[in-house]
Amino acid sequence: MAEKFSFKKEHRARTIFHIVNFIFFAIVVVAMLIPIIKVFVDSLDTSGSYGMRLWPQNPSFSAYKIIFTTTALYKPFLISVYVTALGTFLGLLMCTIGAYVLIQFEMPGRTFFSYLLLFTMIFNGGLVPTYLVMRDLKLLNTLWAIILPASLNVYNLILMRNFFEGIPRSLFEAAEIDGCTPFGIFTKVVLPLSKPALASIGLFFAVAFWNQYTNFTIYISNPRLYNFQVKLRSLIIDDQSLAAASSEGIYAKTVQNAAIIVAVLPFVFIYPFCQKYFVTGITMGAVKE
Amino acid sequence: MAKMASPMAKEQGPMKKKSNLAIRIWQYRYFYIMFLPVLVALILFYYLPMIGVRFSFYKYTPFAPPTFVGWDNFRRLWSTPTFWDAFRNTLQISIFKLFLNMFLSVSIALLINEIVNLKIKKAVQTIIYLPHFLSWVVVASIFMIILSPQGGFVNQVLLSLGIIKEPIYFLAEEKWWRPVYYFINQWKETGWGTIIYLATLTSISPELYEAASIDGAGRWKQTLYITIPSIMDTVIIVLILNLAKVLNLFESVFVLYNPLVYHVSDVLQTYVYRLALNANAPDYGFSTAVGLFKSVVSCILVLFSNWASKKVRGRGIL
Repeated sequence: MAEKFSFKKEHRARTIFHIVNFIFFAIVVVAMLIPIIKVFVDSLDTSGSYGMRLWPQNPSFSAYKIIFTTTALYKPFLISVYVTALGTFLGLLMCTIGAYVLIQFEMPGRTFFSYLLLFTMIFNGGLVPTYLVMRDLKLLNTLWAIILPASLNVYNLILMRNFFEGIPRSLFEAAEIDGCTPFGIFTKVVLPLSKPALASIGLFFAVAFWNQYTNFTIYISNPRLYNFQVKLRSLIIDDQSLAAASSEGIYAKTVQNAAIIVAVLPFVFIYPFCQKYFVTGITMGAVKE
Repeated sequence: MAKMASPMAKEQGPMKKKSNLAIRIWQYRYFYIMFLPVLVALILFYYLPMIGVRFSFYKYTPFAPPTFVGWDNFRRLWSTPTFWDAFRNTLQISIFKLFLNMFLSVSIALLINEIVNLKIKKAVQTIIYLPHFLSWVVVASIFMIILSPQGGFVNQVLLSLGIIKEPIYFLAEEKWWRPVYYFINQWKETGWGTIIYLATLTSISPELYEAASIDGAGRWKQTLYITIPSIMDTVIIVLILNLAKVLNLFESVFVLYNPLVYHVSDVLQTYVYRLALNANAPDYGFSTAVGLFKSVVSCILVLFSNWASKKVRGRGIL
């Protein structure tokens, strides 16, 4: 869109629009960022009275030091890392093998399997029956209760299948003539060709597992198994668990703010590099065709 | 695809048709083995709970074995005002949220599309997508601190500007809770909602605009007669897809509500949660009945969405 940027009469209205639009987005961006910036600034501020300042007084990382030296605070962080790593791996495994089987069009029972998966998007047992099943499977108060059910994500599996359907069939046939087994075709042809889909769906899984909260409150009552989200929630709701912090002369509020930043930190590091995969992921599912 | 199993194909020839199926199943044996983990997870975590909905016809607490009571739970549900509060709130909150999000996302997408400088455009997109990835716990924590009546940023600003005299307890007053909830939702999700519209906007052929400007249509007319009609299909699709999910409202409410504002904020899922897991006397039977009611209404909405989607764009959502 080549446009002249000038105040000559014929371009004036357009130019004014561009300026107004620019100011509008400057305000929007600032409004989006202020809550996050304020929390970050206050996490460094040890003065204890934050007010409206957007710059820390006596900046120090002592609140972060508390989080990474108090067992009750860093252990949940490690549990989050563990759940995210294992969950994303299992999630991608389930997605890819499920999708690979669903593109075997001549396989007896394929349609039945598809309907079995799709039906779960129409009807589900609901919170209580699922909880009772978990109880009967003896999964309550284990991290498997978080990882296993969420690793089978029907929506992601179908996204993956749509992606696999785009792989030219001639490649499968060629690999087969070369003597590849079905599993060999899967690992040597399908997976290497699906890197963009693996990246975006993998990121969706990672974010979902990192952000897990509800299932922890339903299935986990042992505080030793809490992840960082649950810990953060309890830090915000009741200050009891902050006794350690106040004993070292650091305000509970500062630790709360620092905990919020720690909860988003891993994501903020990878986000700039992965943004395009998130966007492909959503457009892949929604504006296909 | 029959060639997939070509080493087996020669066995197939002389066999009778009757055993064809058995042979095909044998040919695909590796695939069935591969599908096994998916199938097991599907049965354990999706289909077993479906059988569990039978408990909605039982009196069932952790302290006694379930006893069949017929439609009792549903009769009780029908005459419980808090259930109807939750049902009404679920519908009102999700539907308002749905339309608000649509309006804001479309408007912002149209304006982003007008940004000429590509670097600014990219930067704006990067920033407004960001909050989507923050968990609800993080978002709620941020806003509980920012909106706090004890020295929270927003109250401080409003007080110092003289707009208010007393700090407002935004998340604990009935008249404030919903507006604040909608604001936080839009803060988190508006940017993400623009992606799909921006994708549609970039797919509009530039020739249409050229033709229109040759015909003497200005930018405003071009937007009105080309851009908006072009994204209308996407708007309708997004609306239909989200309609299917209106009753699923849970985590966002769960982390932002509190007993003071149950009347305007309690939704079906949070109601079930409290009945089943958080109460001193968990009532599995009645809460399953509430859950079943929600699932059945959801199911109808999904099927309606699927039908509507087929009408509008020729393919369903399933």
